[in-house]
Amino acid sequence: MSSRIQFEHVSKKYKLGLTRTSLPSVISSRLKRGLQRGASGNIDRQELWALRDVSFELGAGESLALVGRNGAGKTTILKLLANITKPTSGQVTTRGQLSALIELGAGFHPDLTGRENIFLNGTILGLSRQDIKRRFDEIVDFAELGRFIDTPVKRYSSGMTVRLGFAVAACIEPEILLVDEVLAVGDASFQQKCLKRIQALVRNGTSIIFVSHNFYLVRAICERALYLEEGQIVERGNALDVIARYERTLHQERAEKFEGAPRAQTVSGADLEITKVQVVDADGNAADALPSNQPAQVQIHYNAYRDVGCVSASAHIIRSDGLTCCEMRTSLDNVQFSLKRGQGVVSVTLEPLQLITGTYTVEGGFLNESDSMGIVVGQSDWFFVKGDGLSYEERNGVFRPRTRWEHHNGITNGGSDGQ
Amino acid sequence: MMLSLMGRVFNSRDLIAAWTSRTIRARYQQSALGWLWAIIQPAAQVAIFAIIFTLFVPVNTGGTPYVVFSYVAMAPWAFVASSLPDMANSLVANMSLVTKIYFPRQALPIAAMLARLMDFGLAASLILVLLVYFQVPVLFQAWLFLPVILGIQMMLVLGLGLALAAANVFYRDVQSLLTLVIQLWFYASPIIYPVSLVPERLRAFYFLNPMAGIIEAYRDVLVYARVPGMYLVTSAIVSLVILVVGYWFFKRVEFQIADIV
Repeated sequence: MSSRIQFEHVSKKYKLGLTRTSLPSVISSRLKRGLQRGASGNIDRQELWALRDVSFELGAGESLALVGRNGAGKTTILKLLANITKPTSGQVTTRGQLSALIELGAGFHPDLTGRENIFLNGTILGLSRQDIKRRFDEIVDFAELGRFIDTPVKRYSSGMTVRLGFAVAACIEPEILLVDEVLAVGDASFQQKCLKRIQALVRNGTSIIFVSHNFYLVRAICERALYLEEGQIVERGNALDVIARYERTLHQERAEKFEGAPRAQTVSGADLEITKVQVVDADGNAADALPSNQPAQVQIHYNAYRDVGCVSASAHIIRSDGLTCCEMRTSLDNVQFSLKRGQGVVSVTLEPLQLITGTYTVEGGFLNESDSMGIVVGQSDWFFVKGDGLSYEERNGVFRPRTRWEHHNGITNGGSDGQ
Repeated sequence: MMLSLMGRVFNSRDLIAAWTSRTIRARYQQSALGWLWAIIQPAAQVAIFAIIFTLFVPVNTGGTPYVVFSYVAMAPWAFVASSLPDMANSLVANMSLVTKIYFPRQALPIAAMLARLMDFGLAASLILVLLVYFQVPVLFQAWLFLPVILGIQMMLVLGLGLALAAANVFYRDVQSLLTLVIQLWFYASPIIYPVSLVPERLRAFYFLNPMAGIIEAYRDVLVYARVPGMYLVTSAIVSLVILVVGYWFFKRVEFQIADIV
């Protein structure tokens, strides 16, 4: 049996409101109940099922993402795996050394130096002194601490603390690694470094369970994913599909919140109003999953109350994590439109769409002729882009350009660098 | 079960060592007198009791200077009285760690005890100075009992400390209660008075307090240069029972600790 992690029909119940019952408060509540006879005899004994009948398995070198809202049970799964808490029913089995990136630097003592804290934190994570000594240089190197290693941790910047915490936990080379939303801190270059480190661990056979709200990070690390809601598995499968499902649920909900109002947000200027921004496929139909390798068209529907004259139209494609993927603007393409009174549509076609799989929205609007001032802007519904071919292999980057690969064989290098 | 405790302690020895050294370093970090406090505290208490019980209410110590008589008891008592609150607090003070990372939980109370054991060692060095200064006759064969007595004392402290640490997570009353109990316990143990003052018919009952036997044993060995009496067996049995029950309780509730938010 090669599975590292086995979760079999695991449920976890938390009791709420039972923990801090002081004698005076018990007496006073008893008295109160005695006085108002017939009142409900229901003491504060609420129960919360953090997990209900969850089963999954993970083998060596596999990576699993847990996605879902706050309170869906992701952290409870990590705590059960880390042996911090026990399941109410069911069986949790882990095989091999486990390390958790749950709270970076939780074991740090502010008065002790970085060096002392490496030993302290390392032993908390289950390493022996010898192990730490062996990896000490690697840890310091990875954390980029250099000469600060003998400075008390309380003088570190938060970035330095996080780097040190990650370095200790990741240098352990555990067989199972739990990562809980810790890569969100630290600067981008360190994040990248952590990502590389995690990917290297997976290649070397570490099993990873990853919790993050950053879906691009999830896609970069995980093959599979579980989507949890209220302690139950809603969907499981390859990470891409599961995240897509989750994102769609999120966006649907967001849209339902605005029910009654037009689904697309519009802002109206005094003389010019954007009535709708939408993205349509090659056949002109609004679809919520657009193929990446097909043309797509962004349409900005407007209503002008007078002749507006020359304007510059613009559209930004924005990814679900807030990244602006590209900007299209008439002035950049040396195009000009003159808007007359009445309704109309300005559209721009992307041939092909080229975006990688993910969830996006478009912000479309008009600027004045010199581009110096926006007039109105509107936002489209969220739409989903599906990559072609083995789409789940698409993990990094923003778009896939049209490519042509070539291979020239047998070229003899007559230059000087061939010697 | 005790084997399991010892096995676990051995497996997490590096963690216990690191945590002990962290505790000690942190304690004396910004303190001018540093570890000297480990001696000053029991010495100062002995000084005040020496004034009371030699000048105001003279107590018969069997010819031994009161200072020696009392300090030999005060130093081990200080170990108990200082480590129990530390141990009781050890989990509560580190809840962020306990709820986020798994490590053998008992490492925290054990390290808290060991950090105080070092203080005890420092305080004990003054015993030697006093023995030499007051030229108290010594019997080195009897000193072979010292590790045995210390072992019994550590069983007692460990058992109580583990139970207190776990209980404190659920009810903070433990801390207040402990302060009170330690105060009472001090007077129930022969620290500032000799056992000979305890009425004969109450002795058997009196020695059910394991600290009575432990302190009397230290005093017999160090001050009266004789082998401890049978009362030490009572102390050993009571201490062992406390350790077994304390560890059992700790293990029983260990995994509920993280669920208390």
